Amino acid sequence: MTVQEFYEEVGGDYNEIMTRLRTEERIRKFAGMFTRDESYKALVQCINDGNAEDAFRAAHTMKGMCQNMAFTRLYQSSHEITEVLRGKDLESAKQMLDVVTTDYNLVIAGIEKLLA
Amino acid sequence: METMEKDTILIADDAELNREMIKFIFEEQYNIIEAEDGEQAINAIMENSDKICLMFLDLLMPKKSGLDVLRFMNDADYIDYIPVIMITGEATDETDEKAYEYGASDIIYKPFAPNVVMRRAKNIMELFEHRIYLERKLEKRTRQLRESREKLERNNEFLINALSSVVEFRSLESGEHIQRVKYFTQLFLKYIMKMYPQYGITNEQAILIVNASALHDIGKIAIPDSILLKPGRLTAEEFEEMKKHTIYGCELLEKFKQEDNEFYHYCYDICRHHHERHDGNGYPDQLKGDEIPIWAQIVSVVDVYDALVSKRVYKDPFAVEEAARMIMEGECGIFSPEMIDCFKLAKQELFAVTEGKFSFADVMVK
Repeated sequence: MTVQEFYEEVGGDYNEIMTRLRTEERIRKFAGMFTRDESYKALVQCINDGNAEDAFRAAHTMKGMCQNMAFTRLYQSSHEITEVLRGKDLESAKQMLDVVTTDYNLVIAGIEKLLA
Repeated sequence: METMEKDTILIADDAELNREMIKFIFEEQYNIIEAEDGEQAINAIMENSDKICLMFLDLLMPKKSGLDVLRFMNDADYIDYIPVIMITGEATDETDEKAYEYGASDIIYKPFAPNVVMRRAKNIMELFEHRIYLERKLEKRTRQLRESREKLERNNEFLINALSSVVEFRSLESGEHIQRVKYFTQLFLKYIMKMYPQYGITNEQAILIVNASALHDIGKIAIPDSILLKPGRLTAEEFEEMKKHTIYGCELLEKFKQEDNEFYHYCYDICRHHHERHDGNGYPDQLKGDEIPIWAQIVSVVDVYDALVSKRVYKDPFAVEEAARMIMEGECGIFSPEMIDCFKLAKQELFAVTEGKFSFADVMVK
C-alpha cells in the first residue's frame, strides 16, 4: 500500500502531509508512532470511569496528533468529542465515542497495512 | 557569568508523535531534550538551564500544565533567559493572552509547517541571545562605571585631606585636628538627619559636607608665621588678622569658583561662616540664627569642642566634661538650640575620640 492510498483510505490529506513532512519514509515513521500512542485507550477508559477532565485531555491530545498527521476524518470526530468534553458533557461524549472509535480503527487498520 | 554555548532545545509535550514532529526539524542542528509532562519539563529546565536556547511547550499536559510550567519559569526567573514557544491545537484568545502574559515568546498552531517553525524559532533565539548579550554588556559597563566613580571619590578624598593638612603641617600641629573635625561633623550630621529631617539633608549631601569640613581652615595658609605660630596669646590686632582666615579661605576658593557645584558651596559656606555665632556676634559677616548655613554651624561647634580639649601653647586641654559644659552653657561660642541638642546626643561619642578610646582613623577610611 502506498502512502497516498493509505491517506485516501483513512480520509486524510496526502498533499498536506507531504508538504509538511516531505518524505514518505518520515510519514511511515510517524504513523508507527501514532499506533503506539495510548490517548485513544485513555479516552475510552476515562469516559467509562466518568472522568471528564482526563477524558478531555486524552481527546485533545488525539486531536492534536491528527492535526499533525493530517488525518482529517479522525481529526473531525476527535475535535467534536474534545469540545463536548471541554464542557464536561460526558453523556454526549459517550454517544460520540462510537464515531471516534470507527474512525480510529480505520486509521489503525490502515497503518497496519501501510507498515506491513 | 561567561556566555556558554547554548545548543539545546527542550520539547515538552505528552504525545511522542507531537514531540517527534518538532524534533525532526531541529535534531540535525541542536541537542534535543524531551519532557512528557509538566513536571519533567520543570526538572529539565532546572538541570539544563545553562544549555537550553529554546523551549517548545504544549499547553495541555498531565501533572503540570504548560501554564504551570510558565508560572514556574516566572517565579524562578528562567523566563528572561529561555524563550518559550507555545504549541496549541486551536487558537483561543483566552489561552493565547494568558500564554503571552506569562512570558511566552510565540504561539504556534497545529499543524505547523517545519520551515516556518524553524524560521520563527531562529528569530526568537537570535532576539534572546542579543538581548542577553546587551544586558551582560550593560551590567559590565555599570560595574566599571561604579568602580571608576569609587576610585574618583577615593582620590578626591585623598586630595582634600592632603590640601587641608598643608595648613596644619605649617602650624606644626599633629595633623589629626582635620580628621577629628571630619569625624565629628559626620556624627553631628547623623543626629541632625535623624532629629531634624526638616533640613532635608540627604546621604549624598552629608558625604559632601563631611569632605568640605576638612577645608574649614584653609584660609590660614595666608596668615603670617608671626601670628599663626606665635607661642602665646594673640594681641587684639593680631587676632583681627587671624580672623581674616575665613575671608582668605573664600578668596582662595573663589579662584576656582564652580557656581553650579554643590560641593563648592559647602566648602565656601564652611570656610566663611564657621566662626559666626547664633546671636550674631561672630565673624566675618555677623550672621545670626538661621542665616548661618547648618553645615557651617556644625563645623563651628565641633571645631570649638576640639580646640577646647586640645593642648595649645597658651593653654592646657580642658577635660571633656568641662568642655561640654562650657559649650552647652554658652561660655565658649553661642550655638543654636538644635546644635546644643545634637551636641548632647553626640557627646559620648566625641568624648570617646578625645580620650583615645576609639580609633577614628579606622572609621574614616571608606
